[in-house]
Amino acid sequence: MAEYELLDHTADTGFRVCGASLEQLFIRAAEALVDIAVDSSRGQARERRTVRCSGPTVEDRLVNWLNEVLWLLDGERFLPAVIEELALEGESVRAIVCGEPRDDARHRPRIVVKAATFHQLVIREHNGMWEAEVFLDI
Amino acid sequence: MPIEHVDEVRHRIPKGARHGMRTDVLFYASGSILEQVEKDRALEQAMNVACLPGIVGPSLAMPDIHQGYGFPIGGVAAMDWDSGVVSPGGVGYDINCGVRLIRTNLEQDEVRARLKELVDQVFRDVPCGVGGKGHLDITEKQLNQVLEQGAGWMVEHGYGEPSDIEHCEEHGCLAAASAGEVSARAKERGRPQIGTLGSGNHFLEIQFVHRVYDEEAARCFGLHEGQVVVLIHSGSRGLGHQVCTDFLAQMGAAMKKYGITLPDRQLACVPIQSPEGQSYLKAMRAAANFAWANRQAMLHFVRGSFQKVFGRRAQLALIYDVCHNIAKREKYEYQGRTVDVLVHRKGATRAFPPRHPEIPAGYRAVGQPVLIPGSMGTASWVLAGCEGAIEESFGSVCHGAGRLLSRHAAKHGRDARAVQRELEQHGILVRSETRDGIIEEVPEAYKDVDEVIEVVHQAGLARKVARLRPMGVIKG
Repeated sequence: MAEYELLDHTADTGFRVCGASLEQLFIRAAEALVDIAVDSSRGQARERRTVRCSGPTVEDRLVNWLNEVLWLLDGERFLPAVIEELALEGESVRAIVCGEPRDDARHRPRIVVKAATFHQLVIREHNGMWEAEVFLDI
Repeated sequence: MPIEHVDEVRHRIPKGARHGMRTDVLFYASGSILEQVEKDRALEQAMNVACLPGIVGPSLAMPDIHQGYGFPIGGVAAMDWDSGVVSPGGVGYDINCGVRLIRTNLEQDEVRARLKELVDQVFRDVPCGVGGKGHLDITEKQLNQVLEQGAGWMVEHGYGEPSDIEHCEEHGCLAAASAGEVSARAKERGRPQIGTLGSGNHFLEIQFVHRVYDEEAARCFGLHEGQVVVLIHSGSRGLGHQVCTDFLAQMGAAMKKYGITLPDRQLACVPIQSPEGQSYLKAMRAAANFAWANRQAMLHFVRGSFQKVFGRRAQLALIYDVCHNIAKREKYEYQGRTVDVLVHRKGATRAFPPRHPEIPAGYRAVGQPVLIPGSMGTASWVLAGCEGAIEESFGSVCHGAGRLLSRHAAKHGRDARAVQRELEQHGILVRSETRDGIIEEVPEAYKDVDEVIEVVHQAGLARKVARLRPMGVIKG
């Protein structure tokens, strides 16, 4: 079950996620993105995909990671059901994503997400908890 | 922020309003639109655009302005071709999102009698593509041809008529596009989606001409009151989105090399003449060509739908096709000199006046058709370009109603079926692939399109030709 809060934006949509670590924050952000695009409640972890990306700043890494997840959804037509592990090392992100090929009958599409953006992107840490606000172009 | 009211519809934020602004912001709004505009960050974004290197003339904003990413939506910025920058954010993720308007030889009464059958047929024939793929299977080689030939490729392959091409901005194809500059991912994302409508604010509407305001121009465009028309609002689908994502990532890194610092990451830009700038422009043109081919395929499908319902007597002809998310090289006379500029239109429509050589010969006496889609269930407009647009807005006007409510706010307390029933009571049938597609786009989520049109008409940027009202809506 994706845990996120929707944020208002005149043209598009945003979400706020929290995590006990930066890794958990990245996982929750990906879950939010998937949930906004597709009803993934009936998604099953049948196949594994390894996702790698990098970026010079934590903001770049989060946006690039989300756009990789979007590529799985929209380019590879693969529904991520569970993010099994996610490692952040230096400038790189590596994750193992489990899911299955998208089937619109079981995974009802909600809206086409064009991209995760840098617009009003916030990543912050407070008392050991991480929080991010991300806006998506819809 | 200090706003100077130049006249009833023109307002200026002087360049001294904030450090870094190289020019003024000039925007068009009525009193009530001005109140709405001040509620989000759109004007602040127009001020950010005024900071971009090489900007010529003011940073412009149309009355449908609202907050976007980097550039405001409804923003226009002309950049000096030699010393200016190009910004993918100034074009947007949906490269060549645009509108095409098709006239039919059918009248409102005869279509209304079979409206349900027609709407259902169009809904079957024109895939929205929210989840799956479209009806067209093209190979990678064919996709590369589409990227360099645009709408013409579709017509050559049987999806349309030669006259369709004459009635597209740029004849449905930007020259100097390069399929080689489009990433493998963008191609893979876009290939299955060709000939599909998309979601969000994209739609296909069966409409009728509600009122004609300019008889001569309407006659020239082949329009009369009561006539049924079809409006398609769509873009370059996942291919364009991926091109924008790819180049924003590249440009973020390249900006350092060129010593460019900006108030917003989404404004990422590079010099037009840099290798990165040229590479983006070639890829952007290819994505624009994909969008023209996409809308051309949908026109072909709609022709089929009308003929399935009304037989061979149903004839559909393209009036015009315009893009409203694009960057194009154009020349203008500005402050007594000729300027060679790259005009970024982010949610803005080209509006060339009578006698302009770049508009179809048949329309040259009255000006370019400017197509302004309303929101789902509200009016759309046909305008004609005026001299005012050439004199002050780099040949540009608004592109739509402009959002007022966020998608989240639009959904609040609304039920898709109830919205659908309410529209049906007003004689508008809606078919959508998703429930969200209906509630997020309720008419209340947008500004009053009539008021937006009144502003550009009063400002002399374009003049009213005809108001269109919807009968059937297809949405993603």
